[in-house]
Amino acid sequence: MEFKDYYQTLGVSRDATADEIKKAYRKLARKYHPDVSKEANAEARMQEVNEANAVLSDPEKRVAYDQLGRGYRPGQEFRPPPNWDAGFEFSGRGASPGETADFSDFFAEMFGRMGGARGFSGGQRTQFQARGEDHQAKVLLDIEDAFSGATRQISLRAPRTDARGHVTLETRTLNVRIPQGVHAGQIIRLAGQGAPGSGGAPAGDLLLEVQFRPHPRFRAQARDLHLTLPVAPWEAALGAVVQVDLPQGGVNVRIPEGTQSGRQMRVRGKGIPGASPGDLLLDIKVVLPPANTAKARELYETMAREMSFDPRAVDAGASGPRSQGRA
Amino acid sequence: MRDDEILTGSPMEDSWVTLEQLAAACTVEPAWLQRHIDDGLIPQAESVAGVWCFSSTSIVRARRMRQLERDFDAVPELAALVADLLEELDELRERVGSTDQR
Repeated sequence: MEFKDYYQTLGVSRDATADEIKKAYRKLARKYHPDVSKEANAEARMQEVNEANAVLSDPEKRVAYDQLGRGYRPGQEFRPPPNWDAGFEFSGRGASPGETADFSDFFAEMFGRMGGARGFSGGQRTQFQARGEDHQAKVLLDIEDAFSGATRQISLRAPRTDARGHVTLETRTLNVRIPQGVHAGQIIRLAGQGAPGSGGAPAGDLLLEVQFRPHPRFRAQARDLHLTLPVAPWEAALGAVVQVDLPQGGVNVRIPEGTQSGRQMRVRGKGIPGASPGDLLLDIKVVLPPANTAKARELYETMAREMSFDPRAVDAGASGPRSQGRA
Repeated sequence: MRDDEILTGSPMEDSWVTLEQLAAACTVEPAWLQRHIDDGLIPQAESVAGVWCFSSTSIVRARRMRQLERDFDAVPELAALVADLLEELDELRERVGSTDQR
């Protein structure tokens, strides 16, 4: 396990005041905020910054870290001596257990995954009842999976405390059935599959956030399914019934006469299924056949000659007298 | 649990849980969550007979607001305003992403 220099992570000196640490943290939190940052690896950097702040902004953890880390260089192999925490008392302020779950092995080894809230003093752990923390993970699905449901194998790294009190990370694999009807951003709960509770209290939950892989045809917005539907000019002009292929079979859609490119049509209840199924939203795109044969050119020339149509007229949908064939 | 056992998950929207369980899912303290619901800063929270149902969006919103309040000492109303903007940003990014894809 590598030693982490939290002072270096926050860019402050070892004798920085609490105010200086707070300022440095805020500056970096803004820079690497995963919702807005354009920096590469913003999420990973934010995690490092959060971890450093969780230790340095907590006076108890900072004292322990300073004492234990004296003489270590960043990246140097690190192993805390047995019972190193004797004489320290952690009150559990700062980051919540859920937030510390993704911190490094180095943090886990020093402070455990409870973010200091495990309530021990002088190396003697106090027995208490506490529900296990929730674990969070992301699960990547295809949009088709939302129609049929899916089973995914998920590997999770979970902290375990060994007989000597050291925290190590163990990997466990779960087979999880994702129900039909899920949408991107939705959180799927697996009750009791989080961290075990203490003192007989129940385990936490496993919370899986659904994400969809990009799809070449579909885009899902909540349960609504968006699709660009190409139609031929005569289908758009004269009206037609066209078949739209969906993950679970097709649906026939009537294109009204005079439909223009860019028009959106809604087919109720044909989006992602569920108690309240989403809608299918079709963005109509009129596609011109190429004029790459003599016959095709002749047809276009006939239209140009015989139809008085100016697409640049104010009312683009109406035919006007100003255009007379080709320019 | 056997290796071949298949666990079935349920969407948060279909899960009725205690305030404590909900707070754990949002990685916030129960008192914080109750206060923000009472103040109307987290919409789409439904409670019946002491159990709660939250949308996934509300869970993400609560996590974001807690982080903003903690990281920047933001007052709850400001954190809620930023959360509103981030939710709008999510939607716009999704639209842009799908346009780029075409």
